[in-house]
Amino acid sequence: MKRSIYPAVAIALIFASAFTFIRSQDWKISDNYTVKFTSEDPSGEFKGLKGTINFDDKDLANSKFDVSIDVATINTGNGMKNTHAKSEKWLDATKYPTIKFTSSSISSTGSGYEATGTLDFHGVQKEITIPFNFKDNVFSTSFDINRLDYNVNTAEPAHGAAVLKVDITVPVTKS
Amino acid sequence: MSRKIFFHGLWAGILSAIASIIYDRIYFFATEINYSKLVNIGSLAGINLLACLLAAFGFSLFQKWFGNKGEIIFNLSFVILSFASIVLPFSISLPLDIQNPELFPGLAVPMHFFPALAWLTIRPVFREM
Repeated sequence: MKRSIYPAVAIALIFASAFTFIRSQDWKISDNYTVKFTSEDPSGEFKGLKGTINFDDKDLANSKFDVSIDVATINTGNGMKNTHAKSEKWLDATKYPTIKFTSSSISSTGSGYEATGTLDFHGVQKEITIPFNFKDNVFSTSFDINRLDYNVNTAEPAHGAAVLKVDITVPVTKS
Repeated sequence: MSRKIFFHGLWAGILSAIASIIYDRIYFFATEINYSKLVNIGSLAGINLLACLLAAFGFSLFQKWFGNKGEIIFNLSFVILSFASIVLPFSISLPLDIQNPELFPGLAVPMHFFPALAWLTIRPVFREM
């Protein structure tokens, strides 16, 4: 009787261990993504979005975003503004080459989802909650960000807009 | 505006447009950056003709207002205005789908001098007529 319990436990453990391999769906970022910011002045976009997107609407507890954008890819449509934006006075692309978001939890809301996590921007790590939608294999989000919260040119708070609206659309494919 | 001044403006516009189109092509082959959404043969021809015909209009006004000194004041004003206008390519924000906006002034700034150059180049021909 005692002997027969070991194979049974082993089978149970093998069966249970299979569940440890179940993980959320990984998504690959398509090239036609957009990371845009708008304000009275400036407006523009970033390129160089990369990272891992692990999202399953049925398994939000194991879903995770770990994405970054390349600060040096900023494009405001104006060469001089691009140079200024990348300079030490503003985003300091040399010292802080990426803007990174790592989620710690994802939850469902009535109209979509919310990702709470750390935004690492200009050397400041701040916890934020980003609302987003996921439809037809496209992640989309729109939220405001205050550059002064991240010590971006705090010496000139009125030089250009302090609050910028960020619109991100990321088509993805299953990887 | 006299017929002579009108044709002076027209020919200056044509020459300036040709110079701009040639420079646009050279710039494209040198940098391989395509600004054709903003600057193309049609827009270059149009803007150069417009600039030189406006110059002709201004020239006739300056001659009327300042007499013999009108041409000197006009030439000076035309060149100063051309120089001042180079601030535009530096300050303009291009559509975001156009890459390398920092190289756009390199294309546009020289072109801002072409109407004045063309006008002054053919001025002796029309002065003789």
